Amino acid sequence: MRQWKKATAVLLLVCLILTLFAGCGGKKKKDPNSITAYVGQTIFQETLDPVKGGMSYGYPFINNALLKVDTKSNYVGDLATDWSVSPDSLRYTFKLRKGVKFTDGTPFTADDVVFTYQQVQKHQAENQNVDLTRLKSAKKVDDYTVEFTLKEPYSPFLDTAAVLGIVPSDSYKSGEFDQKPVGTGPWKVVEYDPNQQIIVEKNPDYYGGVAHINQVTIVNMDQDTALSAAKSGQLDVVMVGSNVANEKIDGMKLIPLTTMDVRNISLPVVPLQTRKDAEGKAVKVGNNVTCDKAVRKALAIGIDRKTIIKNALNGIGKPATGFTDNLLWASDKTWTDNRVGEAKQILDAAGWKVGKDGYRQKGSQKCEFTVAAASNDNDRYQLAVAVAENAKKLGIKINVVSKTWDELYDLKNTVGVVWGFGQYSPMVLEQLFYSKEILNSQYGNSVCYSNPKVDSLIDKALDANNQQTAISYWKQAQDAANDDYPYLYIVNIEHCYFVSDRLNISEDTQIAHPHGHGAPIINNMNDWTLKS
Amino acid sequence: MPELALKKPKRRSAVQILHLNTRTRILISIIIAALYIGIVFIWGVSMGPSNYAIDYGAKLQAPSASHIFGTDYMGRDMLARSVKGMSTSLVIGLVAAVISSIIGLLLGIASAVIGGKFDKVVLWLVDLCMGLPHLVLLILISVMLGKGMKGVMIGVALTHWPELTRIIRAEVMQVRSSQYVQAAYRMGESRFTVARRHIIPHVIPVYLVGLLLLFPHAIMHEASITFLGFGLPPDSPAIGVILSESMRYIASGKWWLALFPGILLLLTVIFFQIIGDDLKELLNPTTGNL
Repeated sequence: MRQWKKATAVLLLVCLILTLFAGCGGKKKKDPNSITAYVGQTIFQETLDPVKGGMSYGYPFINNALLKVDTKSNYVGDLATDWSVSPDSLRYTFKLRKGVKFTDGTPFTADDVVFTYQQVQKHQAENQNVDLTRLKSAKKVDDYTVEFTLKEPYSPFLDTAAVLGIVPSDSYKSGEFDQKPVGTGPWKVVEYDPNQQIIVEKNPDYYGGVAHINQVTIVNMDQDTALSAAKSGQLDVVMVGSNVANEKIDGMKLIPLTTMDVRNISLPVVPLQTRKDAEGKAVKVGNNVTCDKAVRKALAIGIDRKTIIKNALNGIGKPATGFTDNLLWASDKTWTDNRVGEAKQILDAAGWKVGKDGYRQKGSQKCEFTVAAASNDNDRYQLAVAVAENAKKLGIKINVVSKTWDELYDLKNTVGVVWGFGQYSPMVLEQLFYSKEILNSQYGNSVCYSNPKVDSLIDKALDANNQQTAISYWKQAQDAANDDYPYLYIVNIEHCYFVSDRLNISEDTQIAHPHGHGAPIINNMNDWTLKS
Repeated sequence: MPELALKKPKRRSAVQILHLNTRTRILISIIIAALYIGIVFIWGVSMGPSNYAIDYGAKLQAPSASHIFGTDYMGRDMLARSVKGMSTSLVIGLVAAVISSIIGLLLGIASAVIGGKFDKVVLWLVDLCMGLPHLVLLILISVMLGKGMKGVMIGVALTHWPELTRIIRAEVMQVRSSQYVQAAYRMGESRFTVARRHIIPHVIPVYLVGLLLLFPHAIMHEASITFLGFGLPPDSPAIGVILSESMRYIASGKWWLALFPGILLLLTVIFFQIIGDDLKELLNPTTGNL
């Protein structure tokens, strides 16, 4: 009996060891010139197919767009080398780059551009990130010239040209491209496992500078697991939240990167009332406290953004009183905050008197309102709490609640909401301030701001036939609207990463990151180098 | 020397050394448990939000004399937050367990007394509720009712009655068919008198123990669904919220955020279990008098 037991034990042990070896053998030998990165999970949640809105952030990854954004936020040619706009702002002509090949070997021509734009137009419902409803037609003039005709003047069309990646007309397959798109970009997907990782390999024929690193594995895990993995030396890049920015990881350094992403709190500008939405349904809009401009202005000039950022985000991020200066169309106007005395005067003058509990009151109306933050983003919640703490000194009481996005959608017109905005396109201004957006789109103009002057300036900006004119109108529209303080800007966030000491992520060529929870660090991955 | 081998001392437990009989032992353990729960409950309920106010100057401090449980990422005192959260859980547990046990009691008795189709329907309902995983049903009900205190309370109350219903139903049926009840009927006692004198006294202990043993379940389930994000809102001090927040800081070594609130929850649940079990022993005539 005993012998049998022993024999079985030995046999089992051998089996176990063999399985272990088998497990090791299954792994491919790691290329010394490769890295593993964690850049958040959004890249896994979205499709990679440009036709369906994948990777529409203005930088090349698998696919290239006609234009791209440079480090100073200017549009420069990418697959297009030159472009012109007709005087009536309706026709955009792009000259295309010659001698470019897709990674499947087919040459890039005007057909591919026309095909891509037509595909998006046909399936516009599947693409929320690139809006081509104003495009009338895309026409091939010759093999390397494309002409777009618009239904109405639309100056942000250049943004569209910079975000829509071009797919090959010959080999486009809708389902397959979600995970393995074929493009002209610096990288091509070799393996895609939505639950684990995306492995990309450099495109040796890339016209814009072949990558120095051969292979990059982008892993999918939650943020805490990623941090642990980084601590045990398994990752070369790890995106982290500001809450762990004070941590030390051996062999890695913390690099905060500039973004164009701002956090602001929408403050409804009309008193509480019932209105009809686009479908004729009655909806409650407005807020009886924030409808007073004095309250909004007092908050805007009275809170201390630096302290708020220190308290809520470990000091990571820059105070913001508007959109960031790395956006061409952002207003240049800034102001110093923490002017507590002045803010109090404004509130006093407007009739808000300090009560016994330290909070203000006007008649029976308490100076108190709710700010809601998305429950899936703890930084936003902490930001709102820090603002509330800071507003106490002004005598304004802010109750912070944490809600899911579905709940926020129902609340957004009546309470303050912490939003994040960060995109190259100035259309965000139209979304925020244009009166026609009220109760029209999902998140547009939730504060019910309506100002004929701003509307007309936005119209002029949209009609402009060159970028300079458009930009000047966008700035004017923004300034006019910001005089009413419908949004309380707080911070221009920074994306934090721990980067391995052996890796150089070429900070000089990083573009300002658009909204995207950490993924945009890959924008210049072809410039990254490994120290040997 | 054979005597030495014989003189090996017998192991004696603490209870025997103190010469306590079961009743005294049970009483003592019940008092300790009730004291702990009572203190947490009263302290938590009477505590104002200023006790766990935000203090950015004292962010993420390890446990010390001034903050026994340490502080969280907003500098809030974790002891106060945990106790407040625990008391919220207790309130929810209390209401939910009482509602649940009353449903169980009524359905159990009715089902046994009325019998027939009604009995079948009740048993079918019991099977339906027990067939679905508890937590799933709870999440469904809570989300449907808009989460928050109300959702959790109703969710917990509506999912915890089946077991008690079954036990009470069986108990009533057993008592009803016993000889002395039959004898009482033959002697001409009215149904009401039989119920009052023979059935209720039998069911009450079972009910009380069932009620007490529902508590730990209710509390655990409240904490679980809040932890998963389907219960109390993340801005309220609740054990589930505290524990789920702490997960974000475990990787960076902030152990106290999870450990102490976890122990607090564990102790509460264990103490309720002890009270329930002890009471069961005490109320059972075969073990209560040892």
